[in-house]
Amino acid sequence: MGVEETRVRCQAFTRAGAQCKNLAQPESEYCHLHQPRAQGDEHGGSDEELRQELLDELAELTERVQDATPAYQPPPFSRQRLRELVEELVHRFPGEMGTGAREQFRDLLNADLPDKEALKGFWYVLNYTAQYQADVAKRHVAGEYDTDEWGLDWEFVEAVRPFLSFLYKAYWRVETVGLDKIPVEGRALLVANHSGQLPWDGTMITTAVLTDHPAQRLVRCLYADWIPRLPFFSSWLVRLGQTLETEDNGTRLLEQGHLVAVFPEGDKGIGKLYKDRYQLARFGDGGFVRMALTTQSSIIPVSVVGAEETYIALARSRTLATVTGLPYVPITPRFPWLGLLGLVPLPSKWYIDVGEPIALDRFGSDAAHNLVLVAQLTDHVRNAVQDMVHERLAQRRSVFF
Amino acid sequence: MIDGVVVVTGVGGYWGSRVASRLATETDLHVIGLDAQPPRMEIQGLDYIQADVRNPLLSKLLAAENVDTVCHLAFLDTLRPSETAFDLNVLGTAHLLGACAEAKVRKVVLKSSTAVYGARPINSAFLTEDAPFRGSQRMGYIRDMVEIESFCRGFRREAPDLILTILRFAHIVGPTADTPMNSYLRQPWSPSLLGFDPMMQLIHESDVVAALVHAVYFDAPGLFNVGAEDPMPLNKVRGLADKPPIAVFHPLLYWSMDLLGRRAFRGSHYPPIDADYVRYPCVGDLTRMRRDLDFRPHYTAEDALRELAEHKRLAGQMPESTILAQSAERLEDIIEQRERAREHRVRSGLRAGEGEEDGR
Repeated sequence: MGVEETRVRCQAFTRAGAQCKNLAQPESEYCHLHQPRAQGDEHGGSDEELRQELLDELAELTERVQDATPAYQPPPFSRQRLRELVEELVHRFPGEMGTGAREQFRDLLNADLPDKEALKGFWYVLNYTAQYQADVAKRHVAGEYDTDEWGLDWEFVEAVRPFLSFLYKAYWRVETVGLDKIPVEGRALLVANHSGQLPWDGTMITTAVLTDHPAQRLVRCLYADWIPRLPFFSSWLVRLGQTLETEDNGTRLLEQGHLVAVFPEGDKGIGKLYKDRYQLARFGDGGFVRMALTTQSSIIPVSVVGAEETYIALARSRTLATVTGLPYVPITPRFPWLGLLGLVPLPSKWYIDVGEPIALDRFGSDAAHNLVLVAQLTDHVRNAVQDMVHERLAQRRSVFF
Repeated sequence: MIDGVVVVTGVGGYWGSRVASRLATETDLHVIGLDAQPPRMEIQGLDYIQADVRNPLLSKLLAAENVDTVCHLAFLDTLRPSETAFDLNVLGTAHLLGACAEAKVRKVVLKSSTAVYGARPINSAFLTEDAPFRGSQRMGYIRDMVEIESFCRGFRREAPDLILTILRFAHIVGPTADTPMNSYLRQPWSPSLLGFDPMMQLIHESDVVAALVHAVYFDAPGLFNVGAEDPMPLNKVRGLADKPPIAVFHPLLYWSMDLLGRRAFRGSHYPPIDADYVRYPCVGDLTRMRRDLDFRPHYTAEDALRELAEHKRLAGQMPESTILAQSAERLEDIIEQRERAREHRVRSGLRAGEGEEDGR
């Protein structure tokens, strides 16, 4: 698990299905709680061992809550109310995780574990969780929340997670291949093709790594410089840990050991017309290669297929672009004729492929000033992404299924 | 580390008097205070000379006193661009720097602001010291500072031997100083912009004084961003400072600033913070502050805001002076400071007596 992500909150789930993020304090580390589980999964411990582990974990959690807020007193305990509370909380977990947690808990409650002390422990922790979540909004108004220096607010990430995972799992049914090539910790630079008029592709790459990667890391996408001018959109992206596309930002993020994603095609890529789909645009001046060379990070090519079909851009309107101040305004069969309804993307079937990392550590860190090398590497990465896109297109039978 | 004569300009003002009093009580330096008005409170050990920085004989004074270091704090911060202020700020600084070069002063320390970079949509999240000046032209104090900084850039080439240290401070907050950010957070109606929540960098007023004293005492040529190490979103700043969540549609604020900036509305209220600075980020990179200046702020931004909020809440209940007099933290700071000053005097064996001055 990435050090900087876990500093704020542990992303893993406990066996009880509860997320320990609810208890996380900024200065404590919860991750070691979940290391035993990862090992346990490997050698497949018996039920008895697992139960014991669970009880230990629970005891530790309870202790932590008591340490953090000694004054906290949960309402009186009863089995019925515990069950209700679990049902209520389980809805907040995304998809399968919720179902899994509910099942696990049902087994636990039904005679499997009649230990009253353990249940009381659950009661305590869950009540605390519920209360903590209830006053998130209140705390935000009072300024009592934490962000990292880039503005990332984990509580906001958790709040939009169900929506992102709906898009990822149900709407675009994204198939992600090769996530294991993304390191569990430490810096790496994801380079992807850009498409689809609105930056949904970056959103889905982030969601893929956040849900399906073993370490559930948060990808820091670098966005285009017209986005900060837009109200709401800009502040949401910042709260999701994304940041503006400048070389300084990328270098700093990589130096801090983050996972960074860039779309070197920029506006030329995202705003391309339907007839040009899957033809990668020019890759800028190689700023992303310089970032990677300076910080000695490896470049991981990523291809996104399916995003080009979310909006069918037939033409670009120069007049509307001038009026709105946006770099491009597409004309699609639905936009701008249907207004905001035209912004709803089509439910195409998406594929995200993660390619083999390109290691750059054989070049020195001053190689970033070697213009020839930077240009060569830029072309190399561009070809790698284009090849992956073509490979996936050759296999794809239908746009929607 | 230096010893010799230090000139602090603007001792009649808030920053000048605080820096001069710390230098006079805590170091062996001979501190000369320079201003048109005498300091409001008596500063023990301060050698006050009534003179404006624009005085034509300034270089003669600097040479005659054999001045080693000048700490320039004689600025008039106005919200609206003002010619009087421009005259003192920009022309005064230019004249002072010229006089320093002529009188072979070894070092000059200037107080500036990270606002000179300007809050722009294309800003990196952390601006290094070599970022271009794109500061707002709508605010007098920012416009003047950009002029001064541009002048200094040229001056550095003309007088390469003079050590020029410029400290660019983030938004200054605290219970006593009169700064744009403080007024923004104290005024109940000052809004944020709907849908914008930029990262803000703050610094406590005492850390501003500490950084200036540090820069006078130790040699660190160059430019430095100085701020607390925890930048935070504007909404968090507002929440911690007890401000109600009022947000306006952004063209409204730009429009009203244009309107209120006109001559006809002189004397009316003018927003203390430019609309751009509550819309886009303007946060300095603090690497050089930590590494080359070797300075670390004592307060986090969060502590500074909590202190300001406490102060604001109490202000409704009792007069200002009572709050300051009752603040235990403030007295603790003063005790510590006086303790340090006493130790220093005993150690250096120059002065053994105890002062009456409160050190702040």
